Amino acid sequence: MRFGSVEEVEQAFAGHSYLPDRGLSTAVFLALAMKRPLLLEGEAGVGKTEVGKTLARILEAELIRLQCYEGIDAAQALYEWDYSRQLLYARALQAGELDPGQRVAELYGRDFLLERPLLRAVRIGAGAVLLIDELDRADDEFEAFLLEILDAYTVTVPELGTIAAAEPPAVVITSNRTRELHDALKRRCLYHWIDYPDLEREVEIVRLRAPGVSERLARSVAGAVARLRELDLVKRPGVAEAIDWARALTLLDAETADGDAARATIGWAVKNREDLQRVEPELPELLA
Amino acid sequence: MSDPVAQLSQFGRALRDEGLAVGTGRVLEFCRAAALLEPVDLYWAGRATLVSRHEQIGAYDRVFDRFFRGEGDRRPPERPRVRVVTEQVDVGLASEVELLRTKSFSRCSPEELAQLAELMARVRIAVPTRRARRRQPARAGAPDFRRTLRRSFRTAGEPVDRLWRERRRRNRRLVLLLDVSGSMADYSRALVMFAHAALRTDRRWEAFCFGTRLTRVTRQLATGHPDVALRRAAAEVVDWEGGTRIGESLESFLDDYGHSGLARGAVVVLCSDGLEVGDPEHLRAQMARLSRLAHRIVWLNPLQESPEYEPLARGMAAALPYVDVFASGHNLASLEELGSQLG
Repeated sequence: MRFGSVEEVEQAFAGHSYLPDRGLSTAVFLALAMKRPLLLEGEAGVGKTEVGKTLARILEAELIRLQCYEGIDAAQALYEWDYSRQLLYARALQAGELDPGQRVAELYGRDFLLERPLLRAVRIGAGAVLLIDELDRADDEFEAFLLEILDAYTVTVPELGTIAAAEPPAVVITSNRTRELHDALKRRCLYHWIDYPDLEREVEIVRLRAPGVSERLARSVAGAVARLRELDLVKRPGVAEAIDWARALTLLDAETADGDAARATIGWAVKNREDLQRVEPELPELLA
Repeated sequence: MSDPVAQLSQFGRALRDEGLAVGTGRVLEFCRAAALLEPVDLYWAGRATLVSRHEQIGAYDRVFDRFFRGEGDRRPPERPRVRVVTEQVDVGLASEVELLRTKSFSRCSPEELAQLAELMARVRIAVPTRRARRRQPARAGAPDFRRTLRRSFRTAGEPVDRLWRERRRRNRRLVLLLDVSGSMADYSRALVMFAHAALRTDRRWEAFCFGTRLTRVTRQLATGHPDVALRRAAAEVVDWEGGTRIGESLESFLDDYGHSGLARGAVVVLCSDGLEVGDPEHLRAQMARLSRLAHRIVWLNPLQESPEYEPLARGMAAALPYVDVFASGHNLASLEELGSQLG
């Protein structure tokens, strides 16, 4: 499935409970039309990962997620031989009286290949959405290696040959900007910075994601969260925090985000001790 | 201008003048994107193709407004900007042992400095290591199935010897940025000598001098006798003992070298008194950039030799939140201590 216009992207995302702004829908539309990876940056909790997941649902494609971490390497991202199975198989061979010539070839057959996310995405091609999550956590070397894959969408396994994607998969890369990604990688991607949503959109998002929350409560939570974000906090509350907080308040039967219920549940929005101390004296004003 | 492609490429050129890395490839992408979209989405076509860093959005917006005056623009309303907050680690330094080693560089005679040069050549700098992508055979660690399987062929397929492997480790790069402005004159000679000694430890390490502008002195300092190296470096640096523009020097370091990989994951040692004549806010922004690239930032401030010193100078105060180790570096002992502390 391909989108005909930016509006279609907007509608499709809204249909799957994700409300993108104009910039994000444009970026998604372009990424698919131009067959480029989409690099998403933004504060934690603004819904970067969710874009990939939602896109997979919309395209009815398989979501292949590669979570990056410090020290991730090709064996965890691309493929690995199942050495223990090969060992067992080799021993079973010795016990039996099978034709050895053919059996050796079998040892490096697909049965013994452990497919990791990148190889899987290349093999499935257009039927997949590859979500490379938090790339900034991986090392430089891994980024260079990823660049190679994203360039040609081919993987060479020496024992098996080259596996190439007929049609490249849709690729969404997210980064929390704990470090700057390489320019070479950025050059191949379309870039979008996801900002916090404005008040109206945030109210809509909260109501869409937490259906039990009343309009009044959603508005009051969105207002309080917006005020919190303007404070000088170490970790500013994201949209995910706003949704959780609204849910918590609904469970406590609160009608708006003020009073004792809000005070008791402030930990849903502010998740850092220093921030809590910073917020404490201003609570009456914040929860107005 | 009637030809839309010409206009779009002019727009690309204007962005380049603002410092965005907009190559021909990017402009091509931009034109393709613009062709795919309605004219009202021109703003977003450029945002997705011409911008690749959050910091560039401001410049992009300015040029876009100048060029297209609100046409093709569906931007959401303004929002408050993001602030970066980093933890700060303070490390105290002191050890009063030998006379020369603890004598401040500012009070050393030329003879004493020459003696120091010999002592410095023996200073060992241990930097933190980083894990490389490849693995190597080891006595313990993760099982090495590949070699175990190979070895098993010697014993008729029975894996008698089990082998292990671990990550290779590499030394991180050390980058020295030395302030050679007038206010640092008493220390700069000794610090350049230190740089000369340090560069011999690892050939991938780099040194720069700055005052009002930045000069790379790695090649000049990398070989030879300290005196010869020092003379060559001095000939290269044109703004010896001038004013200090740390923010701008840092910016040109990041633009020309740091961003293309030199500062990435490196230990960056800045030697300066922090008496910035430029805009402290600019320095703060550049320090934020540097902190996202570098593994650790060490700031050596010789003014710290005085116990009453507090980092109140506006430049220093702006930079401090991004500094991991704040030390003095005013004598050999403190440099030695730093050398052992980094690892």
